[in-house]
Amino acid sequence: MASAPIYLDYAATSPVDPRVAEAMAACLTRDGIFANPASPHAAGSAARRVVDLARERVGALVNAAPARIVFTSGATEANNLALKGMLAAGGQLVTTRIEHRSVLDPADALAARGAELCLIDCDREGIVAPEGVAAAIGPRTRLVSVMQVNNEIGSVQDIAGIARVCREAGVPLHVDAAQGAGKVPLDIEGWGVDLCSLTAHKLNGPKGIGALYVRPGLTLEPLISGGEAQLGVRAGTLPTHQIAGFGKAFELAAATGEAADLRVLRDRLWDRLSAIPGTRRNGSRERSAPHILNVSFPGVEGESLRLALEDLAVSSGSACTSRSAEPSHVLRSLGVGDLLAESSLRFGVGRFTTADEIDRAADRVTAEVKRLRQVSEGAPGWCSS
Amino acid sequence: MDYSAEVRQRFSAPTRVGEVPADSVEWVEGSAADPSLAVWIRFQVQLESGTIRQARFRAFGCPHTVAAADRVATEIEGRPVDYLQSIDWPLLARQLALPREKFGKLLRIEDALAACHAQARRKQVS
Repeated sequence: MASAPIYLDYAATSPVDPRVAEAMAACLTRDGIFANPASPHAAGSAARRVVDLARERVGALVNAAPARIVFTSGATEANNLALKGMLAAGGQLVTTRIEHRSVLDPADALAARGAELCLIDCDREGIVAPEGVAAAIGPRTRLVSVMQVNNEIGSVQDIAGIARVCREAGVPLHVDAAQGAGKVPLDIEGWGVDLCSLTAHKLNGPKGIGALYVRPGLTLEPLISGGEAQLGVRAGTLPTHQIAGFGKAFELAAATGEAADLRVLRDRLWDRLSAIPGTRRNGSRERSAPHILNVSFPGVEGESLRLALEDLAVSSGSACTSRSAEPSHVLRSLGVGDLLAESSLRFGVGRFTTADEIDRAADRVTAEVKRLRQVSEGAPGWCSS
Repeated sequence: MDYSAEVRQRFSAPTRVGEVPADSVEWVEGSAADPSLAVWIRFQVQLESGTIRQARFRAFGCPHTVAAADRVATEIEGRPVDYLQSIDWPLLARQLALPREKFGKLLRIEDALAACHAQARRKQVS
């Protein structure tokens, strides 16, 4: 009998926790809390209470006032709202070269409309120095945007330090915390973060729901208008079931405190993979999120590696770009060569990952890397660069 | 990327990877590479009275490259050495359902076999 498929792509998305699904199901059908939360009747009030509770749960995990949380369709919309909402009137955006496409693409769109764009380099481990941010801020800077945890390599930025330099310069800071929330400490109001993007589906919540924290006093140009809008920036009927699932997912993440367990699993995987000769780990070891491991296998062609391991749910580069032929922009920023970037895999562990799955995955990768290297034995040096 | 059943089979279990026997008396070797296509290929062909007795290859490349090399290595065995110059590459591409963007890699396989053929001819002359 074939063994069960192994899912190690939690940094792309995660399965909904059954307790989350239960909370969502309670908001869908006629016998549940399905009414429009904006409706003034009793059923609407019941739905509003569900939404309010979810806001509290989301805020509690990341230390943010519930009233300042604007629900969106996900972190992509939240990132778009933060950037386009802050730079609608132009000015300069300071961000990094290793951001997710949901920041870089709107940044490019803003630049095409006349905004100035300043891209900061990271070091070879994917870390952006607060001093580098400070140096990039100028008189026309309207916003600084830095992701907390890189989605491809797991490097964790010093958000507290970056927030400090932004505060000293009087420039708002936006943080894309899609990968960080629930995995590494995030203290939005304690650190003085002005805008923060969150998502549910990386934390065993549903897809299609996220949020943007908006610091009091900040004015954003809405992306979506049409009737009553949350904090005046996001219109649309609130999806009670999605929001309930979001809140439950964040409540469970706060209660389980699973980061230590994830780190053990991630390190177990690295211990096994590092035994493969030449294997190289991408990103910082000291400042890494507990659930992400990015590894390059020199001497193995990327497309062949992906087909050989198609039964293993992992990503090559970021999930959003792994169907593209372009090597990862993040690995390129770290100085990784294109062929090596192509031969890189991102492993993501999560709540339901087991040690047995880690061992089986490591065995599969080890066997296929060995097999493919045998096929290419004697290849010139550039095949490993 | 979609792969035909034959590409999947030959990629996952190629039958002609390696080198011809070390004690071979008559054998030739040819290789080709294109770093911009991320492809390197080397063939060794064992000859016996002008006939290809066995062929072996090593390849760094995509699954289509490995599968095509394996298919060709299988096909040329038992043929006269000049067959190396008369392989129907468009037909092979169709049979393996190679995407158009992979045709450049097929050319490198052709180059490696052409190098084998040239070396065989040189040996015959000398």
